[in-house]
Amino acid sequence: MTRSQESFRPRDFLLFGMTTVAVFALCVCVGSVSIPLKDTARLIWNSIWGLPVPEGISNSIILSVRLPRVICVALVGASLSICGGAMQGLLKNPLADGSTLGVSSGASLGAVIAIAFNITIPSLPFAGTMVMAILFAFISLMLILSLAYRLDYSLSTNTIILIGVIYSMFVSATMSLVITFAQDKLKHITFWTMGSLQGSSYENALVLLGALILFGGVILSRARELNAFAIGEDNARHIGVNVKGVKLTILITVSALIGVCVSIGGTIAFVGLVTPHMVRMIVGPNHRRLLPASIFAGAIFLMLADLLARILFNPLELPIGVVTSFIGSFVFVIIFYRSRQVQ
Amino acid sequence: MPILEVKNLTVRYGNLTVVDNISFSLEQGSWLMIIGPNGAGKSTIAKAITQGVNYTGQVLWEGMDIKQMKPTEIAKRIGVLTQSHLMGYSFTVEEVVRLGRYSYAPSIFSPKDDQDVERVEDALEKTGLIELRNQSVLTLSGGELQRTFLAQIFAQDPLLLLLDEPTNHLDLLYQKQVLSLIQDWIRTTGRSVISVVHDLSLAKIYGTDALLINKGRQVAAGEIEKVLTRENLHTVYAMDVNDWMCSLLSQWQD
Amino acid sequence: MKFIRLLATACVIALLLTCLAACGKKSTPETTAAPGTEDAPAETTADIPETTAEVAEETTAEAATEPAEETETADAAEGAITVTDMVGREVTLAEPATRVVALSASDCEIICALGAGDTLVGRGEYCNYPAEVLEIPSVESGAETNIEQIIALEPQIIFMNKMAQSEEKVNQLEEAGVKVVICDAANIEEVYTSIALIGSVMNKNDEAKAVIEGMKADFAEVAELATGDGTETVYFEVSPLEFGLWTAGNGTFMNEIANLIGLKNCFEDVEGWGEISEEQVLERNPDYIVTISMYFGEGPTPVEEILSRKGWGDVTAVKNEAILNLQNDELSRPGPRLAEGAKLLYEFVYVTMAQKKAA
Repeated sequence: MTRSQESFRPRDFLLFGMTTVAVFALCVCVGSVSIPLKDTARLIWNSIWGLPVPEGISNSIILSVRLPRVICVALVGASLSICGGAMQGLLKNPLADGSTLGVSSGASLGAVIAIAFNITIPSLPFAGTMVMAILFAFISLMLILSLAYRLDYSLSTNTIILIGVIYSMFVSATMSLVITFAQDKLKHITFWTMGSLQGSSYENALVLLGALILFGGVILSRARELNAFAIGEDNARHIGVNVKGVKLTILITVSALIGVCVSIGGTIAFVGLVTPHMVRMIVGPNHRRLLPASIFAGAIFLMLADLLARILFNPLELPIGVVTSFIGSFVFVIIFYRSRQVQ
Repeated sequence: MPILEVKNLTVRYGNLTVVDNISFSLEQGSWLMIIGPNGAGKSTIAKAITQGVNYTGQVLWEGMDIKQMKPTEIAKRIGVLTQSHLMGYSFTVEEVVRLGRYSYAPSIFSPKDDQDVERVEDALEKTGLIELRNQSVLTLSGGELQRTFLAQIFAQDPLLLLLDEPTNHLDLLYQKQVLSLIQDWIRTTGRSVISVVHDLSLAKIYGTDALLINKGRQVAAGEIEKVLTRENLHTVYAMDVNDWMCSLLSQWQD
Repeated sequence: MKFIRLLATACVIALLLTCLAACGKKSTPETTAAPGTEDAPAETTADIPETTAEVAEETTAEAATEPAEETETADAAEGAITVTDMVGREVTLAEPATRVVALSASDCEIICALGAGDTLVGRGEYCNYPAEVLEIPSVESGAETNIEQIIALEPQIIFMNKMAQSEEKVNQLEEAGVKVVICDAANIEEVYTSIALIGSVMNKNDEAKAVIEGMKADFAEVAELATGDGTETVYFEVSPLEFGLWTAGNGTFMNEIANLIGLKNCFEDVEGWGEISEEQVLERNPDYIVTISMYFGEGPTPVEEILSRKGWGDVTAVKNEAILNLQNDELSRPGPRLAEGAKLLYEFVYVTMAQKKAA
């Protein structure tokens, strides 16, 4: 009966960590081009220990293409998933997520505006889109929530879905408007909105990792407050949670993390919805377990989705969002159905 | 010196004044009943004390403005039990109770409070929830859920307990259980209670002090006998409450 | 039982639809003067008497209703033109068109190539070649095609492709008195057909013939000169890595032209356009890369960007810097400039790169 019972135990860490590593290994070994397991293992082993690496196409494929991509996918999955978990706790609604609320589309609107009007930060080529994506993610979130609170203070499931749909429509309308003002960038913007994790680099991975450690850390440190919010905002206030402060912190960090993910990988729907939901069934709703477990599960889920996207119609690639949306829409319906039953 | 003092409390929602210039004070060890008909602004007063709504006027804790206090400092002094709890996620009883200790170690970096474990155990025991500790709150009955939140407050261990009609939806047995648990708690620890009620009999049985309000305005405040007079009640409820209560109760005599 | 019947009905409907689609695709446009097609003999034989009757009827009707104007030119009655467009619709015009809207970029190019650019009163928003057409008012095209916009321009004819049209839109336009001609070429042979079709609509038959002959000569020339035997491979990059690699596979003009000059498209197993895996590009190790990415004047050029890609250093095309950037849609539009694109590709592979290798 100690406090550690509530938190993520070493055993859990080991279990989730091992699964993640196994899936990671699988995703690095399997791909559109098949490379013998032995070669893959030797390549990675040698490059870790700085031993000479055999030259050749398989070297390029594993080390320059597949490895950075799988790392980026895992980090994006982990980030989106912890964001989903945090929002679902904060708003006490299992359907809240960057994609259902429209925050992701808001972020991509920011990025599109940055592309259309050439908003860049000197000497940091991709920072312009990233900063705009983060900014718009935050503005979207504030806009959506203030509207939602005005309509329905308890933020019922119906309100959340409705607002998300309306906001996404608003964003796509605004995007069309932006595009008419930037005809010359039409092709660039169209391709950008389709989003892709192809061509992910180690630099991307580093940015994602930094964001996940920083913002993910902040979210993790608010796990107990999120528990209180998940029981009820009034209850949170009554037990001494700084309601406004925590809410603002979570909203800012979530927007920042979603913004970074969207600016690198485009909008990947439903990850933040599916994984926390599945994890909740395994470890329960306590955020001190839910959030760390979601990080691992998000990485696993998106890596597997990406694997499917890569190999299902080889040599063609499916956009990863297609795979996640396909799975996500089913889970969405299940959660919605259940939450209606509870009500 | 009173532990809680409310001065000229006014709450407005837009143009609507819900609580209009209310003042009262509370001594340690007393049980104050806030009484009035539906929509009189009773719950809003409770909400203002815990900083849940914007208000003008002052709420003082031992002379100190509560607005200047950190949320955790307020929580150590005032605990709140509301009438209903809509649970969304399947937390266990113990997880909910344990959150009551939040204000003693709010940051993940704050040192672990030695009393945590003891208090939580104690609270679970007092409310008879030891057996249910690992059960999901989604599976509890209304009475068990209310006891869970009462246990959370016992774990929180505040000096003042604010009850916002906590027994409203409960069966009689649970009503009695919860109220006697609170009465025991007051007696043994010398704490104070503010209750928002609209059952006048309950108010009379448990209360020491009362605040009678109508349409947001204060009708009377002070010792309960002096507040719940025939005249005062008549102005608020527009009927002879004493007669009505007597005729109701006389039905129960054998 | 009910389910099985439902399934059967669905199958039948699906089958019918595919048949219809196939017919629509194959039916080559024919002027009524030569109404023979190999595709659907039964259908055509049934149609022939009807069509000829219709033509005769319409011509006489037109002649009867507008006798005043007819008298101006002696051979005005012969000015009436009836064509069958590329989805098999019949279109009859009283006289060669003088006010025309072209929705697709290729039709716009063809009209200009035939010397009829001055008849254009509107263009689809993507029409950007030749540069003069940018002066002409643009209208929305594709899925956003806006009927009111088009009618406001008062054209006699609108050229559009299959993607842009829907039954209702075509009907609306026809009701408003705008004749709709649908051009849709999927290979070079069909491009000739669409040029001929537009030529006859615009009464520029000779010019059309000249353009077609010119294209044929250009293609013949590069095919003749090209020494490739289909062993060297080329990879067409439609969108850069940042957005996911898209390529042009079998059934595209790029594929056809690569084959024409003795190259093998390394993604010929892909049907049409598709997003392909980066790993596959490295694995297939193309000898040449053709990218159609636009350069916006900042950052690395599309060629530089490809050269700088991590892990691409071992690709033959990258090693030899054998990367061609075609920014002006030379190889993606079913228009007269395909020949130009073929020439550019030929020159790059057999002149520039050959010299580089020799040096």
